[in-house]
Amino acid sequence: MSSIQIQNVTKRFGDFTAVDDISIDIEEGEFVALLGPSGCGKTTTMNMIAGLEDVTEGAIRFDGQDLSRIRIQDRNIGFVFQNYAIFTHLSVYKNLSYGLEVKKVDRSEIDRRVRAMADRMSIAHRLDQPASSLSVNEMQKLAIGRSAIVEPRIFLLDEPLSNLDAGFRAYMRAELKVLQHEFGQTMIYVTHDQIEAMSLADKIAIIDQGKLMQYGAPLDIYNDPQNRFVANFVGSPRMNLVDGELREERGELHLMLHGGAEIPLAGKVRADFTSDARVHSGSFGIRPQDIYFGDQRCPTDITMHGKVEVLERVGPKRLAYLQVQETMFLAFDDQAQLEVGDDVPFFLPSDASMAFDLDSGRRLGGR
Amino acid sequence: MTDQTAPEISNTHAKAGYWTRVARDGQKMGFWFVLPTLLLLVFIVVFPLLMQLYLSFTWWTPLEGIPWYQAWEVFNWGENYWYMVTDPRFWGALWRTVLIMIVAVPAQFFLGMALAYLFIDQFPGRKLFYSIMLTPMMIVPAVVGLMFFLLFQGTGPINDHLGLPPEFSWLTDVNRAMISVIIADIWQWTPLMFLILLAGMLGVPSDQLLAARLLGGSNWQNFVKIILPRMKTVIIIALVLRAVECFKIFDLVFIMTNGGPGVQTETISVFLYNQTFGELEWAYVATMGLSILIALSMLAMKGLSLMAKK
Repeated sequence: MSSIQIQNVTKRFGDFTAVDDISIDIEEGEFVALLGPSGCGKTTTMNMIAGLEDVTEGAIRFDGQDLSRIRIQDRNIGFVFQNYAIFTHLSVYKNLSYGLEVKKVDRSEIDRRVRAMADRMSIAHRLDQPASSLSVNEMQKLAIGRSAIVEPRIFLLDEPLSNLDAGFRAYMRAELKVLQHEFGQTMIYVTHDQIEAMSLADKIAIIDQGKLMQYGAPLDIYNDPQNRFVANFVGSPRMNLVDGELREERGELHLMLHGGAEIPLAGKVRADFTSDARVHSGSFGIRPQDIYFGDQRCPTDITMHGKVEVLERVGPKRLAYLQVQETMFLAFDDQAQLEVGDDVPFFLPSDASMAFDLDSGRRLGGR
Repeated sequence: MTDQTAPEISNTHAKAGYWTRVARDGQKMGFWFVLPTLLLLVFIVVFPLLMQLYLSFTWWTPLEGIPWYQAWEVFNWGENYWYMVTDPRFWGALWRTVLIMIVAVPAQFFLGMALAYLFIDQFPGRKLFYSIMLTPMMIVPAVVGLMFFLLFQGTGPINDHLGLPPEFSWLTDVNRAMISVIIADIWQWTPLMFLILLAGMLGVPSDQLLAARLLGGSNWQNFVKIILPRMKTVIIIALVLRAVECFKIFDLVFIMTNGGPGVQTETISVFLYNQTFGELEWAYVATMGLSILIALSMLAMKGLSLMAKK
């Protein structure tokens, strides 16, 4: 078990910068998710931590120790590949015992640990069968067990759940959390699925185009995104993000949306937009669950009018698509009072709204 | 749907004759297309084989004064086969061929394997070295024979480099002649081994190799436990291919030593050549040729059947 310091790490492949000056501090025993869209550099970052890729600039330290000069096989890093990389020509037993056999661990000790791990991963009944005969779900367990059995200093998982069917994925998500507690391991988890990251990780590092967008606890990231990308990426359903130009008329500040509608800014979100005088185009963000209908609850809440285009059932609630000119807002119809085609007023609570600079994507103001 | 109709069609096929079937299925044109090849195969495979079998049971030689198809007049009830198993020159040639095979093929295998291992990772100049590596097997074997004939001369470059006197002969020495031939064969055919084994090695999933390394396996451990077992099929193919090819070695020997000194490097192919064009014992040659064909086929089958085993 160890802590990891990723310090100003950059990775270039020729002219292409895959990872751009990323710094992440991971505490001992922490579960960190690297989250981002495909091709954002999260897997490259993970490969650099594992030592599969060299670091172009910067350093990665384990408990303060730089491992870049240490051979991969001596680093003692557990790695679960996206496609598991099971040794399909060997039996399940031999797969589990591989990491111990190559370290010349005593036979009886190997046997004891293999059986314990097989029990733990509930694949004991499969021990003597060829690994190629396992189902995808069992391969997943075998891959984790094979890495865990050597008690690595850290555990890296590369999209481990993406090949699983939905039911088993939910089970495995819970199982991973339990395993992480049991092993007490520092774990780094690469995923493009924000729900996975939100539910599993102690901390999330959101990466886009090689840059670290935000690093923090899931709730902090959710409640306080530092830029437009994070706001857009985290949360399901997605945050409403509408772009427009700021215009001041007769002392009132409006965001003239590109879709033709306008938002009269008030309260905190107005203060946020005016916090930087250089900003002329902005992006207004509000989560669907923060929008409400009925009576205005607070004088600074923004009133909008929209037409209900679609009502979509999401679990016990209904998600309403509200059309305001060319712009669409998503809101939860929690009182089941809307009908398609209705022209309804709705309210954007100023305190829950977020302001972003459209050009840089930077958050304006703050919580 | 298809499962139900398929047997039905094949049933009607079984009732009708083969040619009717071919005609009716509209495969007639296809049949005419492949006919030239079929005829060619009959002439270059079936006919010579039958002719060989026929002649091997007679005393016939071109000097007999009768055409080959009348060879039944000198039918000898398989005495050629008895002569063969008691012919010391045949067994000598066979032993020398096997000797070359059991020395050269493993040497090519280990060298090829080692070279292939060096080539699985990228390094500067890999493509260039790769092309250079493959050159020997591109050269006509006779030319390779000539090259080594010149290299191994008493006053040639090899003696010169090793600081040996011109009297130190390679190709005319009872023991060293064989060594020279084996060295030439290894030089020429290691690249083929290398090529096949490299292809097999590149076929080993790289993520499994990475996983093995991350689990702490040393390069040697991973090679033995992951790469080798996964290459089993390719290894067997490479060994069978080379063993069969090596058994037929002719050009190198013919040009470098012509089987000499004496019969010290006479392999089966060279022996057959000498019997054919020197002694004109064509029936005897047919006997040996057929026997070797059967023996080699069995050897290859044995090797390939290893592949089917899990």
